[in-house]
Amino acid sequence: MNKSYKEYIITAEPFNAEILSSILWELNIDGINEEVNCVKVFARDENVTVEAIENELSHLKENKLLRKYSVQENFIVEKNWNEEWEKSREVVHVSDKIVIKPTFKDYEAKLNEIVLTLDPKMSFGTGDHQTTKICLIFIEKYLKPGMKVLDAGSGTAILGIASAKLRAAKVIAFDIDDWCYDNGIENTKLNNVEDIVEIRKCELKNITENNFDLIIANIQKNILLELAKGFKERIKPDGILILSGLLEMDREAIEQKYASFGFREIDFLKMDEWIGIVLKN
Amino acid sequence: MAKKIDSYIKLQIPAGKANPSPPVGPALGQKGVNIMEFCKQFNARTQDKDGLIIPVVITVFSDKSFTFITKTPPASVLLKKAAKLEKGSAESHRTKVGKVSQKQVKEIAEVKMPDLNAFDIDHAMSMISGTARSMGISVEE
Repeated sequence: MNKSYKEYIITAEPFNAEILSSILWELNIDGINEEVNCVKVFARDENVTVEAIENELSHLKENKLLRKYSVQENFIVEKNWNEEWEKSREVVHVSDKIVIKPTFKDYEAKLNEIVLTLDPKMSFGTGDHQTTKICLIFIEKYLKPGMKVLDAGSGTAILGIASAKLRAAKVIAFDIDDWCYDNGIENTKLNNVEDIVEIRKCELKNITENNFDLIIANIQKNILLELAKGFKERIKPDGILILSGLLEMDREAIEQKYASFGFREIDFLKMDEWIGIVLKN
Repeated sequence: MAKKIDSYIKLQIPAGKANPSPPVGPALGQKGVNIMEFCKQFNARTQDKDGLIIPVVITVFSDKSFTFITKTPPASVLLKKAAKLEKGSAESHRTKVGKVSQKQVKEIAEVKMPDLNAFDIDHAMSMISGTARSMGISVEE
């Protein structure tokens, strides 16, 4: 962890953020933050250097789009930039049964409630988002004790943890992101389900197990379209597939793709512009 | 009652690929905005524009909620698209790698006019032509 990023603060006269930032995309940069008097460019590629940036800017100068410029290089170390927002998190009641709380909030569970304790840091799946709520509602509805569950693109592992607390026998939760791997492990320990929920840093193709009773994937349309075949290969006959991370406009494409693999839609839920679909193999 | 605006954040990031790393993390994090919520929304809305750079203006409200609008890709991206290029020239003064017509320059200038702070369309066209030449793309007379 603790990746390092290079930040380049660029000022110029005359200052035109559009012209400056436009030419900088000729380099392999990660993104730009346009501020009032400067643009900040972020990059990890070793080929992005002060010299490389100055070379691009010199072309603008030759073409009289700016008179002078300066480039300042800083190094910033990755940290939990979501810390400020996390302080404002409250207890979330997803349903009559499922409650999510941050570690720093006390909450006394009522009879039959399950409480998920989560510090999301910089992983997806805080419990505040509509798609997470949709998935949790579907898990509560369709998960039966003893099921084997796959949580694809697990983020905080919130869906896997909820599955374990609803008495799944085994959960494999995987994500490709470093933050999610570490955060998923932390959260399974916080909820005392580390014996049931196994966190992996990998892609679907690396999951060698199959015959899952329930697969949950809260990601986004294009990725869910790509994963359809892989889910089909790993779900058992009559298995349940919960898909979310989708906007209403994504519904048709998803339904068509999954129908072509023999999945049949059995449930649907919409919260604001976000949707979730339940399919049966 | 309308919510009070705290600030605006202007970023440029690849479509469908927002993540909490810079520039998103530091820019939104210091305003107390939920970074992951922004990434989820941005990626869902822009995933079909894969490969394009998307400028986005995020309005942050005093209660830390936000909305955002996406804008047209940077002029350099539009120029490469017009010239059917993957990349501009590293030595633009020596090596020309493609060309665009005046009509294409005008079309791009019109699209980018709101972002260029140009006095008029001729001024915008001169900026777009200059950007093209800076990338090793010739502008046909």
